[in-house]
Amino acid sequence: MSKYLVFDDVIFRNRALLLAALKDLGYPEVESGDHLPLYGYQGDRRPQTAELVIRRQHIGPASNDLGFRCTPDGYLPIVSEYDVRTLAGGHFLAKLRTAYSEHVVQEVTRRLHGTARRTVEGSLIKITVRY
Amino acid sequence: MPEIAFTIDPATGKLELHVKGVRGPACDDVAKLARELLGEPGRAHNTPEYYARSWVQPRVRPKGRR
Repeated sequence: MSKYLVFDDVIFRNRALLLAALKDLGYPEVESGDHLPLYGYQGDRRPQTAELVIRRQHIGPASNDLGFRCTPDGYLPIVSEYDVRTLAGGHFLAKLRTAYSEHVVQEVTRRLHGTARRTVEGSLIKITVRY
Repeated sequence: MPEIAFTIDPATGKLELHVKGVRGPACDDVAKLARELLGEPGRAHNTPEYYARSWVQPRVRPKGRR
C-alpha cells in the first residue's frame, strides 16, 4: 500500500486553470464534490478525502486515486508515494505546475487584453505580455 | 507600453513575473491579479519604477485666445 502525501507548498489557486492544466496533461476526467473519498489501487478506501479527484482507472493499473483538497488558499495535491515516483517519470507535479503557470499567463493576457510572445531560452520558458 | 515578463522553469513549474513600464501603484493591479491566480508570492519587491511618479505635462492655454 502506498502512502498518500499532501503537498502543502504546492497550491493551485484557481480551479478552472487547474482543470485546464490537468486536461493538458491528459486527465480530462476529474470528479468534483465535497470530501470525496480516495481509493488505493486495490480499491481500498483511504482516510484522505479531496474536492477534485482523478480516479485511478484514468491514471494507470497500479496507480491510486489522485486528489486535490480545497483550502482557503487554493487546491493542494494529494498524491500517493507510488504515483509521485512514477507519474510522468516522477515529474508529475512539476509538469502540472508548468501547465498551470502557462494557463496563468494566458489568463493574465486575456484579462489585460494584451498580446503574448513566447520563447524558450535554455531550459526556461519566457513569455512577454504587452498590454 | 507596459509589459509583464514571465519566466517559467519547467524543472519545477515555478513562475516568476516582472512588471515593466508601469509607474507607481498602477503596478498593484497586476500584482493583485497575480495573487488571485497564483496566491501569495514567495517574495515580492517593488522596482524603482514603482516609486516613480507619473508625470503629466500641464497644458496651459494662452490668455485671450480661444
